[in-house]
Amino acid sequence: MEKQLLRLNVNDQNYEIYINPKTLLVEAIRDHIELTGTKRGCDTVSCGACTVVVDDMAVKACSVLAVQAEGTKILTSEGLEVNGKLAPIQKAFLDEGAFQCGFCTSGMLMSSVAFLNETKKPTEKEIRDGIEGNICRCTGYNSIVRAIDSVAKGKYTEDKV
Amino acid sequence: MSLSGPIICPVCGKKAKTGSAIDCARHMFGTGDQPHRKWVEAQGLSFIDLLIEQATTPGNRSYVLLGEIIQKDAEKREAEKK
Amino acid sequence: MNKYTVINPHEPFKVINTHIHNVDGWAKVTGRAAYTFDIKLPGMLYGKILRSPHPHANIRGIDASKALALDGVKAVVTGKDTLGIKQGIWRRYKDLCDEQILPVDKVRYIGEPVAAVAATTEEIAEKALDLIEVDYEVLPAVFEPLDAIKKGAPEIHEGFERNINVTRHIEWGEVEEGFEEAEYIREDWFRCGGQAHMCMETRCAVSSYTPDKKLTIYHSNQSPYYMQGLMAGVLDMREGDIRVVAPYVGGGFGGKFELDGAIFCTAILSMKCYKPVKIVYTREEDFIASKRRTPMFYYTRTGVKKDGTFCAREAKVFTNGGAYTGMGATALYLTGFFHSFPYRWKGYRYDGYRVYTNTLPSTSMRGFGAPQAMWCSEQQIEWIAADLGLDPIEMRRKNSHQEGTILPGQATIASCGIDQCYDEITKWIKGKGKLPANRSIGISACGFMSGGIFNWFDSPYSFSSAVVTINQDGTVELHIGAQEIGQGSNTTMAIICAETLGVKVEDIKVHSGDTDHCPPDLGAWGSRQTLMTGNATKMASENAKKQLLEFAYAQSGLNIVYDLDIKDRWVHAIARPERGEDFVKLVRKALRGKDGQKIVGRGYYTPHRKGMISPAYSYMLQGVEVEVDEETGKITLMDSMTAHDCGQPINHLGLIGQLEGAFSMAAGYGYLEYMPYEDGKLMNPNLVDYKMIRAPEMPPANIAEIDTYEPEGPYGAKEAGEGLTNPTAAAIGNALFHRFGVQMKECPVRPEMVVNALKEKKEKEAAEKK
Repeated sequence: MEKQLLRLNVNDQNYEIYINPKTLLVEAIRDHIELTGTKRGCDTVSCGACTVVVDDMAVKACSVLAVQAEGTKILTSEGLEVNGKLAPIQKAFLDEGAFQCGFCTSGMLMSSVAFLNETKKPTEKEIRDGIEGNICRCTGYNSIVRAIDSVAKGKYTEDKV
Repeated sequence: MSLSGPIICPVCGKKAKTGSAIDCARHMFGTGDQPHRKWVEAQGLSFIDLLIEQATTPGNRSYVLLGEIIQKDAEKREAEKK
Repeated sequence: MNKYTVINPHEPFKVINTHIHNVDGWAKVTGRAAYTFDIKLPGMLYGKILRSPHPHANIRGIDASKALALDGVKAVVTGKDTLGIKQGIWRRYKDLCDEQILPVDKVRYIGEPVAAVAATTEEIAEKALDLIEVDYEVLPAVFEPLDAIKKGAPEIHEGFERNINVTRHIEWGEVEEGFEEAEYIREDWFRCGGQAHMCMETRCAVSSYTPDKKLTIYHSNQSPYYMQGLMAGVLDMREGDIRVVAPYVGGGFGGKFELDGAIFCTAILSMKCYKPVKIVYTREEDFIASKRRTPMFYYTRTGVKKDGTFCAREAKVFTNGGAYTGMGATALYLTGFFHSFPYRWKGYRYDGYRVYTNTLPSTSMRGFGAPQAMWCSEQQIEWIAADLGLDPIEMRRKNSHQEGTILPGQATIASCGIDQCYDEITKWIKGKGKLPANRSIGISACGFMSGGIFNWFDSPYSFSSAVVTINQDGTVELHIGAQEIGQGSNTTMAIICAETLGVKVEDIKVHSGDTDHCPPDLGAWGSRQTLMTGNATKMASENAKKQLLEFAYAQSGLNIVYDLDIKDRWVHAIARPERGEDFVKLVRKALRGKDGQKIVGRGYYTPHRKGMISPAYSYMLQGVEVEVDEETGKITLMDSMTAHDCGQPINHLGLIGQLEGAFSMAAGYGYLEYMPYEDGKLMNPNLVDYKMIRAPEMPPANIAEIDTYEPEGPYGAKEAGEGLTNPTAAAIGNALFHRFGVQMKECPVRPEMVVNALKEKKEKEAAEKK
């Protein structure tokens, strides 16, 4: 298939890449733009490791074509920090130990960010449902739930960037 | 025919628990060493097959089966003594 | 949300058990951490593996000419391109080295590698696989150990009568006498399922062979040193010519310390074309062709007195070994050992048989045979208590190990906090009051090892080694061979090093995961690193500190009865802490005194005189509150409580994470993670159909940590995080027993099993009424 030029905006940076139109968004981000923080853990849209935020919505980047993301604003885990300053959710993950091997962490962070944007005062159940699409094999999720909860409760308000 | 005394193990001479044939069979499986295995095999049984049966299906059929053979053997030996 | 309490805390520390962020945390929460999965080398090729569709077949011939003709394909390798060396991690025992990663003439399970391709893109490599023609002679296959062991079953490996791969006998004390004293004897039969490790990062490797005959491998694994040794064996190279780098590793859980298709095939391909080659398993490949927890059949017979005193136990076990030995032989041993835990018996006897079948090989997985052992043991004990009308907690308590318990010829228990675990669990249960009608509580006890005293790998090196180097600015380089796989070993070692040297965690730079730069270490398995690498790290740090303090002494003019120490970067006499010197200043002076040589401390650890199994044992109790829908059989976990003794906790943030994580994996084994095979084919090799705990299924995980002191461990520490994979399945089973009176004999417990058990019970009750 003929390669085509695609413009993507990832983490407030414009990129021009030549890709096969069948390229998935996760492949464009990892293999073409070379932001490898976003991972892949399955082939069935089930694990959430590739979750990125597209126009404020959490999207599994293995479930959409890169060309479908043209004209949107994409945020990945690399875009959370600003000038070396961590975002509240990143600090909360550190404080709560909400990661172990770290392979699901980027996707988990992005699901959390999108969830917190949508839900201002979440209950514990809402938090759990909010990250249901992301598998973490290491932590048992509770530390992640605590991290999201502490951000929602405003623990890191002064750190907002 | 009933025996005059408790059954002792035909291999090592131990009396197992109550001295019944089935307890002797348990003892044989428990020990599982070469002499006991050989005795079981000599009765035309497969030690491993009995073990599989015992380890996988409730009912203790292996113990019952081996117990019957031990009982017969003990009876035979008692008859020979007389 | 969760409650974490420490019982009898011990706090003379500056660093240990304070709130320390994971030292790899920054990299992991910013997307910077690069895994093998992310590695891209210049000129790198992409590999794919052709896998056997047959569970058992002879390979008569392979024609790869069409694949080689495809544009972009650079190399195809088959078993014929290898040395054909049969390998295994039990190197001391030749007959247990039974696996060629690319078999030369025979495949033994569906998914076994047959050929591998390297091409310029992954798509081309994939296409090339379709062009490889393999001529198979399909052989009769056998999938269940109890069929494979029958007379006349297909022979899977030559020379193994009845396909019996390994047998294990464990015995101590007076078994027969114990049973004789017993007033009540119970026999039960159980089945335990397999479980997938399901690491988020699938097996993957990048190998680069260069014309100077050196091989560099990036590989997602738990023990770079084992990989180096095993690869040297199969390639007939010197260990020192192979460099294994395990960068950030996306999970291991016991599934990543044997050779896999990715590491082997990339190396062979790279040696053929002198270019780096990368292979990443798809999730399906990871399910069907990595390894799994060992499925087992258990028969266990337990004799007790009417007052609940335990007398004797014997167990007979058959395990489904799958096609090869791997670490499965160790699982066969450990399941038998831990089936006796955590109780005292007058006599204990175990016979285990590992049987080859034409299925995915089974191996070590978090818990290493003990989850199966506890599934059977802890349910049976609950049933015995019910049969005798005894309190199950008090019955367990009076029979449990204590400090000083001796398992003849096997182990001496030097520290044991299980008694207080019973108190904490009882408190939790009492605090619940009356439960709603659809809920019930189950508990389960267990103990686990802190590293194995096994060297079947035949390493001539110490089990663990560490090197501490102090730079002129007071920063510290800690080189360890321990492998960080997410469990937090880098952080643990940084804490131990900082505490010992008297500096801060941010002063320590941890170097691990690279055989070229780190000392050999057996790696991350069997919960060994905190104790073993921890001891080596402590020794190396003490050694470096001693060198520093010698200089401090020399210049202080103090009477030799005074002791010097370093805390918070402050070098001082213990008796007069206010008089001292800054750590960095002292380091600079000491360097001058050493003719400019850096201060280097070395440490090592190999267990001696600690029995057959492990230097130390952790103890724990797990309680779960379970809700069951009687109509559908659906199980929901509502709450949980862990009472846990890991000696001195080193890092409570890491400890909580380990316990919560172990609980989720253990609960999954109890009621969700099912691996059904049909004719040797796994029926659910994907994350849609393979169910596991997700965030909504996870209950609160309350923890009471019993702080004890283990004399063999660094600062009194022992195992945490693997042991807790063991008790939970049985605790769920026990909750079902208390609610319905049904006895679940097979795990994982699926909804239809609950429904059927309830139906059977009703039918039985109806029949009895008549």
